[in-house]
Amino acid sequence: MNPRPLKPQYFQILLALSRGDLHGYAIQRAVLDQTEGQMRLWPATLYRSIGKLEEAALIRSVGAPEDQSDDQRRQYYALTEDGRHRLEEEAEKMARWVRAVRGAES
Amino acid sequence: MRLYRFLLRLFPRDFREHRGQEMERLFLDMSGQWERERRRLGPRFWWALMWDTATEALAERLDRAREAVRMELSRSLGEQMSTLVSDVRLALRQVRREPAYALMVLALIAVGIAGNVAVFRVLNGLFLRPLPFEAPEQLVDLDETAPAWDLEYLSIAYRDFDTWRAENNTFQSMAVLDEGGGNLIADGPPRRVDYLLTSHDIDDVLRMAPLLGRFYGPEEDHPDGPRAALLAEGFWRQEFAGDPEVLGRQVQLDGLPVEIIGVLPARARFLSDADMWLPLRQTRTDWRGWELNGIGRLRPEVSLERARQDLLAIHKGMIPEFPVNEISSPVIHSFRDRYLGEYRLGSGFLFGAVAIVLLISCANIAGLLFVRSLVRSSEMSVRLAIGAPRSRIVRQLLTEGMVFAGLGGAVGVLLGVFGSGVLVASLSDQFPTWVTFDLDARFVLFTVGVTAASVLLFALAPAVRASRAAPGSVGGTRSTAGRAQRRWMGLLVAGEVAMALALLVVGGLAVLDVQRLGRVDPGFRAEGLIAYSLTLPAARYEDGDARTAFVDAYLPRLDAIPGVESAAIASAMPLGSHWGWFFVADGSPPRSEGESNPVVLNRMVSPSYFETAGVELLAGRAFDEFDAREDGNGVLVVNERFVETHLSHLDDPIGAQVTPETDARDDSVWWTVIGVARNVKHYGVDEDMRPGVYQPFRQFPTAGFHVALRVRGDPAAVIGEARAVTADLDVELPVYDVLTMTDELAQSLWTRRATSWLIGAFSVVALLLAVAGIYGVISYTVAQRTKEISIRMAMGARAGDVSGQVLRQGMGLVLVGVIVGLLVSLVGAGRMSEMLVGVGVRDPVVYIGVTLVLVLVAAVANYIPARRAAALDPMQALRRE
Repeated sequence: MNPRPLKPQYFQILLALSRGDLHGYAIQRAVLDQTEGQMRLWPATLYRSIGKLEEAALIRSVGAPEDQSDDQRRQYYALTEDGRHRLEEEAEKMARWVRAVRGAES
Repeated sequence: MRLYRFLLRLFPRDFREHRGQEMERLFLDMSGQWERERRRLGPRFWWALMWDTATEALAERLDRAREAVRMELSRSLGEQMSTLVSDVRLALRQVRREPAYALMVLALIAVGIAGNVAVFRVLNGLFLRPLPFEAPEQLVDLDETAPAWDLEYLSIAYRDFDTWRAENNTFQSMAVLDEGGGNLIADGPPRRVDYLLTSHDIDDVLRMAPLLGRFYGPEEDHPDGPRAALLAEGFWRQEFAGDPEVLGRQVQLDGLPVEIIGVLPARARFLSDADMWLPLRQTRTDWRGWELNGIGRLRPEVSLERARQDLLAIHKGMIPEFPVNEISSPVIHSFRDRYLGEYRLGSGFLFGAVAIVLLISCANIAGLLFVRSLVRSSEMSVRLAIGAPRSRIVRQLLTEGMVFAGLGGAVGVLLGVFGSGVLVASLSDQFPTWVTFDLDARFVLFTVGVTAASVLLFALAPAVRASRAAPGSVGGTRSTAGRAQRRWMGLLVAGEVAMALALLVVGGLAVLDVQRLGRVDPGFRAEGLIAYSLTLPAARYEDGDARTAFVDAYLPRLDAIPGVESAAIASAMPLGSHWGWFFVADGSPPRSEGESNPVVLNRMVSPSYFETAGVELLAGRAFDEFDAREDGNGVLVVNERFVETHLSHLDDPIGAQVTPETDARDDSVWWTVIGVARNVKHYGVDEDMRPGVYQPFRQFPTAGFHVALRVRGDPAAVIGEARAVTADLDVELPVYDVLTMTDELAQSLWTRRATSWLIGAFSVVALLLAVAGIYGVISYTVAQRTKEISIRMAMGARAGDVSGQVLRQGMGLVLVGVIVGLLVSLVGAGRMSEMLVGVGVRDPVVYIGVTLVLVLVAAVANYIPARRAAALDPMQALRRE
């Protein structure tokens, strides 16, 4: 999966997890917020994306954090080192593109 | 929630097991959130959810398929081959070990494929193969239609064609043709040739260059132009030994010199199998009525409808000059629709019939393979347990299927090619010459495709099933079908019964229809009636008197031949050509605006014709020697239909005055009706009869006519005598087109009869296959339930209860099939109405009859295993378990 650009929903999921471990619904909410309501990840899309990201070892599933006792049964996901690295790379690339567009405009 | 869980079944099972719970949870959260935001779960929510689930499930499954394929491909080619070889070897070992089973499967496939192959060959020839001319899709058939005269096809008048050709802007070119025959003298004795008369544009329309020499041009296509002809390739080889020196030679055609200017290419015969092509030599000023066929080449991208509108505007623009164009209109068809349209429906049904036979075959094979896969599931379990991947097992079962299909398909194709050869040989004179039935790439593609499709149909499902065998269930108990499997097999049986019944209804209707048509009275006595043609060349018989004199001398000589009961001449025999005219009866009320004036079939006959042909006179008398002499009045014999259409205002048709002129005036020619003859099925026994009249030959002596002979004994000997008599009177007069009317009658129904009997035969095959399927499945279930039945019998159930229960179960399936089949056939038969003449599509005799037959046969198929169950010795059976 490395050489190809990340699909938008993969990027958004990685971004959401960069702020801490989350469960499925929380990821969905976070992505909705990040994209200002533009991207609503429906269950099948979300979990297939999670599957792909897990396969690529960009994220991994973890147990619930200690302090959130009410969500014991939920499956949480966390960014791996590779995932964090890949996210930074991608963000850097986007920033370059944005600079290039801005440069062209001015 | 339940709905969502159901939706999730779209995903592969392990994905569901892994993620399902979380997804359900997320679904609950999201729907709660949605409700908080928008208060209710509207259609947008459900739509987005379903779309999400469906597309992702598809993507997931595609991913996996891709993965599986990649794994297979990643192994080396050598490995692939060796797997294949070992699979094939395993399959062949199966064949050897159980030859009866293998033979059964092979026979099933062979029957199914043979039928499809044979019928496809005919369909391919009729409807799929393009004409052998450049850009054949631009070629169209031209004609005129005249609904007001009750004529679907009127043929084209030259002046109409001439105007269309000059003024249209939708055609690249167009041409008109006419057929004819003449007496040709080249070197030896005269011989009869068929020729095609065409306008000079024909080579542009067909984009066809001559093999030798040149085509005729406008200067030869003119009444005063030099006389020129092209020879058909076959005729050139046969009569002129393929001599290229033939160009420039003069031959005599009907006593006139003609120069041979070229030889046609072989493919010219796709348009006509005439021996020679000649220029038409007509102009727009010589009016000969409507007698030409037309062929046009459309400009690229021009639709039939646009071209028709174009010609229609031109045609109707001619009304001020030619008012008759008010009644006629141009029509344009693709060649196939015009000449083969009537066969389309019948062939479609035939193809449907063989497809159903193949489907039932596949269903039976699937059932067989399935039963065996159960028997072999312990083998599969062992192989799974020792580590064979599932894909390997599916592969092996598929290979087995393919080996069977390959062998069976090969046998089927051979049978099909042979069978279609027989079919095609007897069909070929039924169709225009451009229809051929050679085997081509399309045919090969179809046979391969249909074989492959049947493999998928019958091998895939059992293969997938078998691969699910759990590795743990080895040994111990015998493997038996569970409830799901039993339901699946029940479905198979009910489906087979439904298909067979629907086909039986169609076959029954078609066969009953031709049966009834075969008994329709054609209106004449065909047995012992033979006919041949003569044409008196204008060069030696220049007027009607000369022709009448010939006939007067000729008929008594024929009468004197031993074996001839009576001889007559007629301008057209029953089932022969049509020559129409319009008649008006004296005192008939004027036709209202828009009322049709049906064209009347006009025949010229000698007095003895009615007796010779066996046409019964219902009133009045036949002609006699004195009718239509110069001093006498004109006379007519009319048919029953004519009395209905033209003489309904009179109490007694005898004595009615009729004129052949459209505007009846006092100085018109008036003919007296002296007799009423029975309707003769002139256009085929499956067609309606038009109004018709007979005139005395003396009243209208045509140059060409048929000689009809009613004979006792051997017709061939009589024809020989007749030839001798003819040569005795005029040595240069060939006798041609000899026909026996019983053949003509059979021929006129041949295609219909063949189609119907074939559909009928295939429906019987379908019935037998379906019954075999029922028998197999019920026997199998009985065998499976031996234990249960034995226990019940040991506990006191009587034999009758046991067999009754088996019978009930089997007949329940049959009943479901019958109901579905009847519903399907009621819907499907509606489409048959155009094909049937003698029976209605809802004919209860057929529906009840075939249902009874099917139920009866199915009951027998059920009864045998039921009795076997009842005859079980419980103790022995239990001990065996």
